[in-house]
Order: sequence, then C-alpha cells, then structure tokens
Amino acid sequence: MGRVMGEDAFEIVVAAHHAEIHRYVLRVTARSTDADDLSQETFIRAFRAHRTLPPDANFRAWLFAIATNVCRNYFRGEKRRRLAYAAAGHDAPAADPAGPDGRVLVSEASGRIDAIVSRLPMKQRLAFTMRKMHDLDYEAIGKSLDCSEDSARAHVFQALKKIRRGLDELASMDTEPVR
Amino acid sequence: MSPSHPSCRAIEPDLVALAGGEATPTAAQAVQEHTAHCPSCRDALRQYRAVEGLVADLRRVPLPEVDSTLARSQLASRLADLRSRMMSFGLFASPLGPILIARSEQGVSMVEYLESEAAIDSRLARLSGLDAVENPSQVESFHRDLLDYLAGRRTHLDWPLDLRWARSAFQRRVLEATGRLPYGAVTSYGHIARDIGAPSATRAVAQALRWNPVPIAIPCHRVIGSSGDLTGYSGNKVGLKQRLLTLEGVPVTGHRHLQIERPAMYARYQAGDEYCLPSCGDIGTMPMADVTLFGSRDRAEDAGLLPCSSCRPDLHPLEA
Repeated sequence: MGRVMGEDAFEIVVAAHHAEIHRYVLRVTARSTDADDLSQETFIRAFRAHRTLPPDANFRAWLFAIATNVCRNYFRGEKRRRLAYAAAGHDAPAADPAGPDGRVLVSEASGRIDAIVSRLPMKQRLAFTMRKMHDLDYEAIGKSLDCSEDSARAHVFQALKKIRRGLDELASMDTEPVR
Repeated sequence: MSPSHPSCRAIEPDLVALAGGEATPTAAQAVQEHTAHCPSCRDALRQYRAVEGLVADLRRVPLPEVDSTLARSQLASRLADLRSRMMSFGLFASPLGPILIARSEQGVSMVEYLESEAAIDSRLARLSGLDAVENPSQVESFHRDLLDYLAGRRTHLDWPLDLRWARSAFQRRVLEATGRLPYGAVTSYGHIARDIGAPSATRAVAQALRWNPVPIAIPCHRVIGSSGDLTGYSGNKVGLKQRLLTLEGVPVTGHRHLQIERPAMYARYQAGDEYCLPSCGDIGTMPMADVTLFGSRDRAEDAGLLPCSSCRPDLHPLEA
C-alpha cells in the first residue's frame, strides 16, 4: 500500500505541472483542442493512480509517462480513423490546415525543425520532445516509452540525425549551403 | 574519410552528445581526436551544434497559454466530480467473517460480507472498475465501530452514509425507513412498506433490502417476514441475521426454520409511544405490519417508549 496523498496534495501537483504537461501534449499533437483533452485525461489518470505511488516517486517523470501513454493512444486512434476514412473512400477531416495553432515561429529554420519533427516516427518524436523541449533524463524517457535508457537515447539520436539530414537537404534544395 | 566510414558512423552518437552538452569526457576526447583528421565529421559536429541552437530557439517559441487555463478549470471540475464518486475501501476480519467497507467523501457507501477468497477477488475486481482505491486507513474507524458493535459495546453506528448508489429512489426510501428502526427491535417488510406510504409494496421492500448496500449500518436484519420468519439475509446468510438479532436481545428459535419468539417479546402498536405485554388486548395476534417487537424492556425504553398504562409491563415484566 503506498502512502496516502491528501486531496490538497494532488491540487499542488496539478498546480505545479499542469502548464508543462499541457505544453508537452500540445507540442506532440500540435492541436490545442486535443491538447486540452489529452492533458485533462493525463491528470484524471494520475488522480486515479496517485495513491499507489511510492513516497519517493518522481512525480514529474511519472506525469510525463502518463501523458506519453495518453498521446500514443491518441495517435493510434487517429491512425485508425484515417484508415477508416480511407477504407470508406473519403478524405479524413483536414488536420489543422492553418498549421499548429498559428504560433509564431522565431525563424524559418526552427519552423523546418518543427516540420521534420512532426514527421518523425512516434517514439522518436516523443523522445525528442521529452529530451530537448522538457529536459527529461533518459531514464525517465525510457520509462515513458517502455524501453531501456539506451533505447531512449537512441531514439533521440535518430531524431537529431534526421533533423540534421533534413535541414541539410532543405539547404541544398534552396541552394543555401549550410557549410 | 567519408561519412559512411565505420569510424565516422561509430563516432556520430558522440558528436550528437557533444553538441547537446551530454558527452562524457572520454567521448569528448574521442570526438576531438576523430574530427582533427576528419573534415566531414567536423562539418557534422558543426551542423549538430546548429541544430541544437535551432532547437533552443524552438523551445522559446511561445505556445498559446490561454487555452491551458481553460483546460485547467475544466480539469478542476472533472476532478471534483471524480473525487466525490471515488471510494476508498478496506478488507477486514470480523466475527462475522471477512468484511469489506467502502466509503466516499460523503460517507460509508458499502458494507459487504465476503465468504471466500474467490468472493474477495471478484468483488475487488468489480470495485476497481468503479473509482475505488484500497485504502484501509480511510475506513479503519468504521471497522473499529463495527467490532465494538458486534461485541455489544455499542448500539448505534452513527455513520454518515452515502446512498447515491441505491438502485432507485424507492430503494433509498426503504433504506432510510429501515435506518430508523431502533436497536433491539424487529418489524416486518409490510411495516416498512406502510411506513414509506406504499402499503402494497411488501415484496418490493423485501427486494430493496435484499440489495442493501450497507447492511448493519442500515439494520435490514431487523426486518422479518409477516409470520415471524427470519426469511433471508444478504443472499443465503440467514445465520448472520440470527446472530445480529441475538446480539440485540431478540429471542430467535428454530434450527432450519428460524423464527422470532413473539410471545417472549414486548410490542408497540404502529407508531404509538408505549410498549405492551404480548397479552395486552389483541396485540399478540395483530399482523406484524402493525407492530414493532422488542426483546426486552430496556430496548423498548432506549427507543423512547413508555410502559403501557393498562398492561403495565414495568410491573409485570416477561420472564427473561
């Protein structure tokens, strides 16, 4: 039996981490309405399970793991929907034609990174976002993705490799050599 | 060296680590040695550093925060709702066998006799589908009260109850009326039916009590058949009903066919404020729906009743 966390203590957890988890989910899904739902879902799940957490648990890493799972389920659902639409001979409703909620990108190059990241395989995208956008350590990322620390590191490495190659290709297409 | 050279492929993770500020001293050293004579990896390192710079820029891109506050307030109301439906439960030993007690923030919502290990497992499995968490400390005080009650050290379980899971408004009314039956008293299903203004609903009352979510706390064991039969209790546990009644001083006879001993009990007519000897007028043969019976004068007086002024049970008490 884990410790009993008072109800107020959970409020503190929400206050401390909600904004960050919401940002994470928004970065991963790039759709704010879905991010609202998914971050809520994350905390609802956390609330149901938090009483069984050991006292020395890393709450932040634990919340990221839940959010990551919620996002993966979301993507699986999205994929099923796309396949269902395709099988029915329809186009799926356009996913945000205006781009990720009209956020202002600081530069064209970082916008390209965003575009490359959004096309990465799911685990690489999640690992990259956790590591580079939220500074989670590889151990926590591994736990979130149900893999080893080394695999987590490898996912981030693969993501960076693809980003580098992607920027390189774009640069050569634009005939603006990076080197 | 070309980028596809094995030593270049091998050094790439270290390039990435160094660019990201994560390289161990050994890895940093290896990168330095390799790039000293490998221009393409030097380029790659520069590119990875550029990527890290761009990633840092990307991190600074403001995300819409307005929506996060909306999501936060929606979350707060969902959590409040969830919290009010959430149950904590514990499994305890008792003289009546293993017992499960569950509570919500409003009060005790479930008391259940568990017969076997298998019953416990299946019960727990069903509970975890509800928002229930095993948390014995939240229900421990109820367990202590219950032990006191079963040992005869306490005659009331004045617990806050949460009857939101009652099957219907009708069942809730039956439960509330049953909850008003005093310690040591018995009456019939028909009496409860009349009490809630549905005199013809005797069978429905029996059904409602069959699914009493909080036995003992709502003393459905004090409700019996019109013939004085104990009838059923919590499925097939009529033996428990007998034990609870005996504990409260209600005389019960019979082996396979358990009955209260009506001639050995004091009686109250309907909602009167006196209690009588069974020989007072025709009270001894009135339908059970019209009377409430007590095993002793103390129980009747604890319930606020006075001795009948004509049969004077205070002067001629029944033999104990």
